Amino acid sequence: MGGYASGPFARTVAWATVIYLVLPISIVIPVSLTDRRYLSLPEEGLSFQHYANLLTSEAWLGAIWQSLWIAIASTLIAVAAGTLCAIGCWRLGRRSTELVRAMMLLPLIIPSIVYAVGLYRWFGMLDLLDRFMGVTLAHGVTGIPYVVITVSTALAAFDPRLEQAARGMGASLLQTLRWVILPRIMPGIASGAIFAFIHSWDELVLVLFIASRQVFTLPRKIWDGVNENLDPSMAAVAVLLILLTILLLMLDGALRARRDR
Amino acid sequence: MSAAAGHALELRGLSKRYGGFTAVDAVSLRVERGQFLTLLGPSGSGKTTILMAIAGFVAPSEGAVLLDRRDITALPPERRDFGMVFQGYALFPHMTVAENVAFPLRVRGMPRAERDAKVRAALDLVQLSRFADRRPSQLSGGQQQRVALARALVFDPALLLLDEPLSALDKKLRAELQEELKALHRRVGRTFVNVTHDQEEALSLSDRVAILNYGRLVQIGAPEVLYEQPRTRFVADFLGKSNFLHGTVREVRPDGMALQAGATRLVQAVEGAHPAPGTPALLSLRPEKIVLLAEDEGAENEVDGTIAAWAYLGAGYSLAVRTRDLGEIRVALPAWRAPITPREGLPVRLGWAADAAVPVLEDADAA
Repeated sequence: MGGYASGPFARTVAWATVIYLVLPISIVIPVSLTDRRYLSLPEEGLSFQHYANLLTSEAWLGAIWQSLWIAIASTLIAVAAGTLCAIGCWRLGRRSTELVRAMMLLPLIIPSIVYAVGLYRWFGMLDLLDRFMGVTLAHGVTGIPYVVITVSTALAAFDPRLEQAARGMGASLLQTLRWVILPRIMPGIASGAIFAFIHSWDELVLVLFIASRQVFTLPRKIWDGVNENLDPSMAAVAVLLILLTILLLMLDGALRARRDR
Repeated sequence: MSAAAGHALELRGLSKRYGGFTAVDAVSLRVERGQFLTLLGPSGSGKTTILMAIAGFVAPSEGAVLLDRRDITALPPERRDFGMVFQGYALFPHMTVAENVAFPLRVRGMPRAERDAKVRAALDLVQLSRFADRRPSQLSGGQQQRVALARALVFDPALLLLDEPLSALDKKLRAELQEELKALHRRVGRTFVNVTHDQEEALSLSDRVAILNYGRLVQIGAPEVLYEQPRTRFVADFLGKSNFLHGTVREVRPDGMALQAGATRLVQAVEGAHPAPGTPALLSLRPEKIVLLAEDEGAENEVDGTIAAWAYLGAGYSLAVRTRDLGEIRVALPAWRAPITPREGLPVRLGWAADAAVPVLEDADAA
C-alpha cells in the first residue's frame, strides 16, 4: 500500500499506544527474574529460582495440568458445537439463521460475571459445582462464539458449487462434509480452536464462581497468589503464559497464511 | 464406456417459479440416446434453471423429468448418477488432479486398484495423464476444463450435463476445446446436455439446439434447421445475424407470395401456411444471402441503396446499405475478388432469390 508518510503526531500516538499495550506485559519479565523473595524488580542480580520453584512445586504444576486438561476438553466441545452450528446456519442460509448466529455470540456480549451468577445457580442444582465437568462445560460453551465466527468466515469464502459438484457426483451429505467441506474450512476451525483454547486457559471469573478446591486452575492460582502472598513465581507463570499465547497466535497466523495461499 | 450406454431424457411441462417470477415456463422436450443437446438463450432465459432441474439441484414447481421413461423428478442429485461440468469447473482445490477424478469413484466405495485404473483411463481420454499429481491451481484454464470433463465421465454417468463449459476460456482456446468436446462426445457415445449463451458454440457442437427466451422454449431442432428456418424473429436474431424486412402481403400463389414495402415489390417463397392478402408480413434475410448486382445482372428481388457504413473483417466486408423502403440492410460481402471497393455513399444494387429470406413471426405472436 502506498499513500502518504505518517506525520509526527500520528507517529507519536501510534508509538504511545504500542508502549501502553506492551509495557505492562513486559514488566513481568524482569520481575520474574528477581533475586528477592517477594514481587519486586531484581536488585543484586538475575535469578531463575522462581522458575525452578514453579516447575517443582506440586501446587503450581497441579494447577497447570488442570488448566491444560480443562482447556483441551472445553476446546473440543467448543469446536464440535461451533463448527456444526456454523455449517448448519450456512447450509440453511435463511434469515432465521442470523438469529441463531446472534444467539451464539451471546457469551461474548453478556458480562461474564452475569453469566457466572446464572451458572452458579444452575450448576448448584445439577451438582456440577467444583467439578472438572462443570468448568469444562462452562468454558466450552463460552468458547463457542470464537469457533462460530472463524468457521462462518471460512464458509463465506467456500465456493458452494464445490458442494453441488460433490453431491452431483453421488456423494452423500456425510461424505461431502468429510471430504470436501471440512478440509476447505480446516484453517477456520483451527483458528477457532486456538481462540477457544486461549479463552479457557486464562478464564478467571467463571472459575471463581463455580469452582473452589477440587478444581483449581492456573489463573485461579495466580489470583489467590496475588491476594495471599506476593510470590514472584506468579511473574514466572505470567511469562510462561505470555510465551504460550504468542506461540499459539503465531500458529494461527501461519494457518491463515496457508489458507490465503 | 460403450457406445450403447447413452440414456434418453425427457422433460414434461417443466415449470419453475420463484415467488411471482416464472424462470421456466412449461418446457417440454426430448433428448434421444447419445444425442448432444444444447440449451441456448440469453442470460435470464431459464436455461441454467432447466439444467439444474435435470441435475436435481432445483425442484420444479410443475412438470416431470424422465430418464428412459422413469420419473426421476423426486430423486436427489446424488442418486441420479449424472456427470456434470460446472461453470468455472468446481474442481476441489485441496485435491490433486487424480484425486479429483477419483472422487466420484471414492464415494461409491470402489476398491483402490479398480479406481486407479479407471482414473488413468479417464485422464488418458482427455490427455492429462502427465498432470495427475498436480493441483488444479497449477493448471491452465483449458486443462482444468478437461479435468472437470474427466471427473464427470469417469463413473460412466447416465447423462453428462455441461453448464457453460467453455465460457471461462479465451476465444482461440474455446474453438479448440469445442472440437475436442465434439470428438469426445463421439468417442464416449453418451447423452450430453449443454447450456450456453454462445450461439457459435451451440451451432458447432450440437445435434439439436433448444432456443429459450423468458423461460419458454421458442424452437428446437438441428442447428441447420434453426439457422435456415427460424420460426420467430427472436430465433433469427439470436442465431447468427439477420435483416428484418417489413411488408404487406399483396398476392398469394401456391409456391409463394408478393409483398409490398413502400414502392418496392418483393417476391418470397412460402412453405406451409400461407398468410392472407392484406396482412403484414415479416421476413428474415441473412446478410450472406444478398449479392451485389452488376449492371447487367438481375435477381428475383432487387433493391437500390447507398453504402452508409462498412467494415473490413478479413474474410469479408460488412456493409450497411441504406435503402428507401426497407431501411438499413446489412450485407456480408466476401473480400476475395469483391466486385466493388466499399466507400461511404457508393450506390449499389442488392439482389436476392425468392427463397433466400424466410417469413418469421413476431415473438409476441409466437406465444
